Amino acid sequence: MIFNLRNTIILFSLVAIILMGSLTIYSVTSIDVNYFLRFLLINIIVILAVALIFNQINLNRILSFGWILFIGNILLVLSVEIFGNEINGSKRWLDFGFLSLQPSEFMKITFALFVIQYLRFYSFQFTRFRTLFLLAVLFLSALPIIIQPDLGTGLVYILMGLMFLFICGVNRIYFIGMAVFAVLLSPIIYSFGLTSYQKGRITSWFSSDQNLSEKWNILQSEISIGSGGLAGEGFLNSKQNEFNFLPEADTDFIFSIYAEQFGFIGVLLILIMLACFIGLTTLLSMTEKRLTSDLSPYYIGTYCTLVIGFSFLLNILMVSGMIPVVGLPLPFFTKGGSSLLCFSIMLGLIFTSRGFLR
Amino acid sequence: MKESKIQTYRFRTNLLLILFLSILVLVLGRFFYLQIIQGEDLKELREQNINAFEYIYPKRGRILSRDGVVLAEDRKIFSLAIDIEQKPSEESIKILSELFPEKINLIDLKEKVSNSLRYRRSEIILEKIAQEDLAKYLVRGSDLRGFSVIEGYEREYNAHPSIFHVLGHMGYINSTDTTYFSPRIENYDAKLWRKVGKSGIERVYEKQLQGEHGKKYFQRNARGDRRVTTDVSPFQEGEELFISIDYQAQKLAYELMDERRGSVVVIDLNDFSIPVAISTPSISANDLRDISSAQYQDLLNDPSRPLFNRAFMGLYPPASTIKPLLTVFALNNGYTDWDETIFDDGFFRFEEEERVFNAWREGGHGLTDLKKALVESSNPFFMNLSIRYEKDLFVEFLKSSSFGSKLCEDCYPHQFSPLIDDNWKYKNFGKELYKGDFINLGVGQGYMLTTPLHLSLISGILANKGNYQLPFMVTKKSNTLNLAENLTEDDWSKLNDSLIDVIYSPNGTGYRINAGDLMLAGKSGTAQVVDINSREEYDDVRSNELLRDHAIFIGYAPYDKPRYSIAVIVENGESGGRVAGPIAKKVLEELLDDI
Repeated sequence: MIFNLRNTIILFSLVAIILMGSLTIYSVTSIDVNYFLRFLLINIIVILAVALIFNQINLNRILSFGWILFIGNILLVLSVEIFGNEINGSKRWLDFGFLSLQPSEFMKITFALFVIQYLRFYSFQFTRFRTLFLLAVLFLSALPIIIQPDLGTGLVYILMGLMFLFICGVNRIYFIGMAVFAVLLSPIIYSFGLTSYQKGRITSWFSSDQNLSEKWNILQSEISIGSGGLAGEGFLNSKQNEFNFLPEADTDFIFSIYAEQFGFIGVLLILIMLACFIGLTTLLSMTEKRLTSDLSPYYIGTYCTLVIGFSFLLNILMVSGMIPVVGLPLPFFTKGGSSLLCFSIMLGLIFTSRGFLR
Repeated sequence: MKESKIQTYRFRTNLLLILFLSILVLVLGRFFYLQIIQGEDLKELREQNINAFEYIYPKRGRILSRDGVVLAEDRKIFSLAIDIEQKPSEESIKILSELFPEKINLIDLKEKVSNSLRYRRSEIILEKIAQEDLAKYLVRGSDLRGFSVIEGYEREYNAHPSIFHVLGHMGYINSTDTTYFSPRIENYDAKLWRKVGKSGIERVYEKQLQGEHGKKYFQRNARGDRRVTTDVSPFQEGEELFISIDYQAQKLAYELMDERRGSVVVIDLNDFSIPVAISTPSISANDLRDISSAQYQDLLNDPSRPLFNRAFMGLYPPASTIKPLLTVFALNNGYTDWDETIFDDGFFRFEEEERVFNAWREGGHGLTDLKKALVESSNPFFMNLSIRYEKDLFVEFLKSSSFGSKLCEDCYPHQFSPLIDDNWKYKNFGKELYKGDFINLGVGQGYMLTTPLHLSLISGILANKGNYQLPFMVTKKSNTLNLAENLTEDDWSKLNDSLIDVIYSPNGTGYRINAGDLMLAGKSGTAQVVDINSREEYDDVRSNELLRDHAIFIGYAPYDKPRYSIAVIVENGESGGRVAGPIAKKVLEELLDDI
């Protein structure tokens, strides 16, 4: 690892985000300091361990298991239907006793590994059939997630998958076509394809009726954020959290608690660090003079970086009331084994694909 | 080929990065809007989330009689309620149901607890716990987490039924009450009140009696399982109200009625306050407090109408008791004088319409002048007078004797005696008043109806030589009114003498009262319930008690310096002199003894 200014900034931003995430988790639960330290330790250990393990493994070795991992993942998602725990009318979690996992979270990674393996086999030569095949695989593999039902994760999975195909060089005609198709089809999907729970989440976002419970959640989240003002109420001083007005404060809505405690300045800082981490990591490959014939590590690295970045933004858009509430985790903030593991694996893939920040 | 792949990759990565940064700037804008521009407003909303308050129900003011007896007061009661801050455990629910096996059902209690927790409402389990139950609960208190004893107030009335109609009662507020109070009480907030005065003094003086709520400020969380009281401002107790009712006399009057239907109303002529106003039968005001709707319906359907306040609402033909007032009218307008005599043979022949009216005494009173007509109650004399009445002057006189207008501001509900004029007759019979009507009106029958309160006032007007004020129980509002300016001092003293003779002359219709040294003056009356023409017919009618004549007596005492005027009505009591008169005598004796 080379400690130049750029790499230092990347690492510093990343560590700062993880630290802020852990502090915020602590402030939400705020049981005692030991709990926080343990949590922070677990967080860092998991991230480092996973990242280092993946860094040690040759990317090519991982990629050669791409399709097996992908099919295994789909089977796990399906098995949730049978063995899973039901929460809010949808089954998403597999309970392993010491931790419960949401297999659908990992689909974003395994799909990318599968695509790379598939395209490598054909030396990245796209034909219409191969492109349509990959698109079909993406949409079909999203179905088990959507019927759980977990529309949010499913949609994000499809968007991220499309983004990966975009990075890999699929002809832009397909994306334009799909965009037109989606716009035309959305009213039909809304009428026939969604459960009332999902419809409620979407209509509440458009309607002005503040009494709907979904709207209430968003309102409480906005109240949290707004109460932070410029400088914030200070660490451990979130009243919205103290008086339990914010639902799911330790998972989906954790950023509102962060914003209440640290204010606009805190939000600005975390977004600057996010921009530094995402921007500088992505640009690594741009300035890379020795881009080799095999672009797959770059595809994977850039993809994982952007998935982290966009997941972060989508969650914040959700808690600040700009998109419907769809249950998206915030990377390194949300308390939950699956997302922590998932984003740690992505970090590992970024490091290994970049040759540990060459 | 390879170059183009690298270019595509670079171009598309740049594109995605720009998209990422654009969204990031958008997000930053959103947070700037929420935190900097809307920050203060949203913070205000947060404070509203957390800080709340609840009202503390005030203690209602006491009501006392003029002789210092507490008629109504709020008493502290204790109730057992669910404490939503400490959820009741399964075990404490079980212990509680075992502690009061006959009052609490385990299944009901469980349901109440779960409802209470669901709607975050502190549900009451046992309302008004008795002392021994409270002790039983407190002994086990430490095992019974999740329940608490809360304080409240309950209206407790003096149990004697004589005071119910005057005081009225309290009841749960409804839209009728809101419509009633809104224009009468400034800034009336109906939502604040559970129970309000439904009738009587409780209703009229709601504003003075109700007091002001206290406030209990607290911080609460969204789940409702945490509440911290931050500040308390105590309630303001309602005003104490003294009313003009004399409890001893009121009670006596009620007991003298001895279960018969009727009413007694006394007016204190010093200030025209009302020391006695009873209506029988009645109930104890406390009986309405925890009554079931079936029981309430029974009271409403009771043919003796115990909830109906006859004193202020009952309309009775005044019969002969109107004669002294009409004497004032006749003298004031010169229709007759004390010297005119007629021959009373027991009939009055109205030649214009060729009708013959029977008088109550067979054979009549013989040669009769005004005084004799009053003392012995000669109908032919007054019928003969009444055909001379001019309609306009008659209506004007009724009006100035408070027919057709509200008599008393404190009396609720209240009915005024109808003003009999052309309008009234048109409305009820589609015709105007004609001469023949006055013959009946002239002896207080026919269309003429008065309330007991009004009769008592009429008696007061006679006692006070035509000067009077409107009666009241709490607040005096009226100026002195004068009824008959043309009457001389001599006229008044002759009228007074006549009314004394009614009681003290052996010929007087009230001689049997044996008024002794009470110095009572008055006039008795017997009001027909059905229209009959002869004594034989009446004997048939008598067999049905409800069709018997009403006994009426009005009077005042002492006659040399009148202090109290009284009206007594005993429904179907038949004889004003023998039945109603003695009640008046004893009530007045009681009142005058105090002085």
